[in-house]
Amino acid sequence: MVLQARGHGVSPDFLNFIETVLNGLMSGVMYSLVALGFVLIFKASGIFNFAQGVMALFAALTLVGLQTGQVPFAHLINAILGTDIHHWGPGLPTVLAILVTMLVMIALAFLIEKVVLKHLVNQEPIILFMATIGLAYFLEGMGDLMWGADVKALDVGLPSGGSFWWEDVTRAWAPEGADYFGMYIDTLDVSAAIIAVVLVVALTLFSQYTATGRALRAVADDHQAALSVGISLRSIWVIVWSIAGFVALVAGIMWGAKSGVQFSLSLIALKALPVLILGGFTSIPGAIVGGLIIGVGEKLAEAYVGPIVGGAVENWFAYMVALAFLLFRPQGLYGEKIIERI
Amino acid sequence: MLYRETGDFKSSYATDQQTFPIRSERYLFWGAMVIAFLVVPFFINDYWEKSVLVPLLVWSMAALGLNILTGYCGQVSLGTGGFMAVGAYACYKLMTAFPDLNIFFVVILSGGVTAFVGMLFGLPSLRIKGFYLAVATLAAQFFLVWLFNKVPWFYNYSASGQITAPERTIFGIAVTGASAPPWATYLFCLTLVFLFAWMARNLTRGTLGRSWMAIRDMDIAAEIIGVQPLKAKISAFAVSSFYIGVAGALYFSVWLGAVEPTEAFGINVSFLVLFMVIIGGLGSILGSFLGAAFLTLMPVLLKNVMVGGLGWPTDLAAHFEIMLVGGLIVFFLIVEPHGLAQLWRLVKEKLRLWPFPY
Amino acid sequence: MNQHIDPGTLRADDGIERGGMLLHVDNISLSFGGVKAITDVSFDVKKGEIRAIIGPNGAGKTSMLNVINGFYHPQEGTITFRGEKRRRMRPHRAASQGIARTFQNIALFKGMTTLDNIMTGRMTLMKSSMLSQAMWWGPAHREEIAHRETVEKIIDFLEIEHIRKTPVGRLPYGLQKRVELGRALAADPALLLLDEPMAGMNLEEKEDMSRFVLDVNQQFGTTIALIEHDMGVVMDLSDRVVVLDYGRKIGDGTPDEVRNNQAVIDAYLGVSHE
Ligand SMILES: Nc1ncnc2c1ncn2[C@@H]1O[C@H](COP(=O)(O)OP(=O)(O)OP(=O)(O)O)[C@@H](O)[C@H]1O
Ligand SMILES: [Mg+2]
Repeated sequence: MVLQARGHGVSPDFLNFIETVLNGLMSGVMYSLVALGFVLIFKASGIFNFAQGVMALFAALTLVGLQTGQVPFAHLINAILGTDIHHWGPGLPTVLAILVTMLVMIALAFLIEKVVLKHLVNQEPIILFMATIGLAYFLEGMGDLMWGADVKALDVGLPSGGSFWWEDVTRAWAPEGADYFGMYIDTLDVSAAIIAVVLVVALTLFSQYTATGRALRAVADDHQAALSVGISLRSIWVIVWSIAGFVALVAGIMWGAKSGVQFSLSLIALKALPVLILGGFTSIPGAIVGGLIIGVGEKLAEAYVGPIVGGAVENWFAYMVALAFLLFRPQGLYGEKIIERI
Repeated sequence: MLYRETGDFKSSYATDQQTFPIRSERYLFWGAMVIAFLVVPFFINDYWEKSVLVPLLVWSMAALGLNILTGYCGQVSLGTGGFMAVGAYACYKLMTAFPDLNIFFVVILSGGVTAFVGMLFGLPSLRIKGFYLAVATLAAQFFLVWLFNKVPWFYNYSASGQITAPERTIFGIAVTGASAPPWATYLFCLTLVFLFAWMARNLTRGTLGRSWMAIRDMDIAAEIIGVQPLKAKISAFAVSSFYIGVAGALYFSVWLGAVEPTEAFGINVSFLVLFMVIIGGLGSILGSFLGAAFLTLMPVLLKNVMVGGLGWPTDLAAHFEIMLVGGLIVFFLIVEPHGLAQLWRLVKEKLRLWPFPY
Repeated sequence: MNQHIDPGTLRADDGIERGGMLLHVDNISLSFGGVKAITDVSFDVKKGEIRAIIGPNGAGKTSMLNVINGFYHPQEGTITFRGEKRRRMRPHRAASQGIARTFQNIALFKGMTTLDNIMTGRMTLMKSSMLSQAMWWGPAHREEIAHRETVEKIIDFLEIEHIRKTPVGRLPYGLQKRVELGRALAADPALLLLDEPMAGMNLEEKEDMSRFVLDVNQQFGTTIALIEHDMGVVMDLSDRVVVLDYGRKIGDGTPDEVRNNQAVIDAYLGVSHE
């Protein structure tokens, strides 16, 4: 390690900086995960799916509900019938619960295509965008109705809590006798990062080496071409929304395990928007790089600018970066320059 | 030049351009105005004021503002909550700094301050379009709310971080503060809304309105035709923000009396007003009112039915409401993208031909 | 306000005699990244004439119009309009100098009525302040009415009275083309640019449109530059023709001269179209 300058050690200030960056990268991974779901749908259908964050929330709620054996709509049923049901049993084992949740997300994709998208095929992008805002509200309300709105703990057996090993390692980097106790890194964040990497690799392999994957890429490039491959546009949409549902599930699990399953989860969708602006709406590497930049930038701003202006800079930092960025490169990091024609 | 539209004659271009070309509709409108101004004030009570009528007026004002920007000029904004906050805090600062200034002018000036802020945040619209712009307006939303939370000067260093409206009067009658009578606050809001709705109508049917719609429908062609994008877009942001600022000022000073920024002006407010505009009808003055009425009255109704009638818990009713609103948005976008205003137009057409369709 | 405005009389009154030079295009070159759309093209337009620009698909005709009204900025060359020389300008400036146009793919304001579309064409002539517009009273109102009168004349002229209040998105293609012509005429243009005004029309619609173009030119004296693929129409309507091919000018002259120009025959007439 270069950092381990022998003899005098690394200054704690610098180590703190590194820690902030690392934590930023970790939360950036979460943003990237949500942004990834956006990009998948945008590439295949040109729809900017605002409901991606709520889909993550919905998936996490469903997972917890299944795990703990909640009766769906118990609240509603009780209110109507005057009964007092809440659980049907001890719940499903985690793996099974995840599988069933995935099925629910697929069913959801199917329904969304059937009930919403089919009727909005030739509408302008901004109309579709607003439709997905409506969808987000609908899903949020439905998730709450089905499973209740209380904050729930989600545990899928991933390790969590600070890593002592890393703390010990990093403490040794500081000079002897310095007031420094090592870096804090949540093991859950590390697992999330690993899972995210696996997910991206899997998606890449899927789109490169399977027939469906190739068809999806064809749609992204040219709708006509995809039709000639023999897959209907509509089933492609269902597939893409299912995949986005899967990505949402993963994001929901990670985020839920970290800070509990609650409404604020759906707000990461809003954070994913600036990420997309940096990364461009069609680029998977862009989504990842953008997520990391926003994650790190936010944490750095909070740590170094926050104290001066009273904190909570995180609330708006990402949007301001996106805004400033848009003014100079309206097409994003990886997008092509648009020459308008008439 | 004479031409005819089922029954009514138009004898000049001036009458041809009037707001209610059909006589019965004109009567309906003025009838409603007479009731609103002369009858309702005698019957209004606290509940109707605080839960129904004043909210309805405040949201109508905000929806009018957003409709000018989004419905007429085609620029989607998710910053409405933030701009309402500007109006509210401008109002508070003006009220406390100039206690003798009449509240009417305070509210107007608050609109002016918001118009200025709106113009600043509107500048990016010259380079950014569509949902890119929507995201850029989120910057305004989050930054502004944060600003009012964090900078003590805005809330006069009060310990709670809240702002509270002192009592102010018009013609000696209180319209803000705890002791303001319901009829007075109602009439104050109604007058402002009436005045500004009329002006919105005028602006949107004239040159400026046409330049907004031209930008909305096809911005490149508009510029080639001679519309100045800078002028059209920035004026849309300014006028829209003015309305939203006035709405924010009324929201704070007349309706709530005391606010805390994250609660009162959060992103949900931005969405709520956007929904009003979509459900009511993009690019329609009437639609702004219908949308505001729908989303103000529906929750009241739902609450009365589900909580009052069926005895459901409140949170359940709230979840149901969120779901319903979301579903309705999707429904309207699919079935009637022009919203309630268009439905009204269709009904009117049916009625006009009745009882002899063709 | 002007009580009586005829298209063509207001801004056409610029001291240039009929037959004098209205527009000079000098050594224009334009490229997009690697694509050279126009290479070193020069020509002129005389006041009062109908000037046709022809050439195969992708020859750079539309790009040329876009350069003339300031939408594209050429890398080389200058445009001189009514004695004023320029290279870069915003399109709305060109519009207020009196250049109006129609588009190859209809670019009407779909959500607005026919009347509002044509009124928008008068944008550059309307001056009343925002405040007086908000009041709908005094100058703004008078201005609105005065311009409405002119617009009604255009509506009469184009025989579209019956669709005055119809949102243009609902109109059939042929009528939309006509409304677009109306919107351009409403600007009282000194130079009217028409990009394939008859494309996609049936014979009858083409004849109507040809008649309108001729009438505009003859009754109002409006100078017209038009792009058209239908050779019959071009030969009938135009006084002089410019021929472009692959971004270069390969011919310039009266219809007869052009028709007999060997380069043109090789490059253009030899190639079958449509
Ligand atoms: N905005 C643009 N970006 C990139 N290339 C462009 C742009 N506008 C025009 N071009 C290119 O410039 C060339 C000339 O195009 P232009 O539209 O001027 O041709 P045209 O003569 O009008 O053809 P047509 O008869 O098909 O209308 C074409 O190769 C076209 O692809
Ligand atoms: Mg062309």
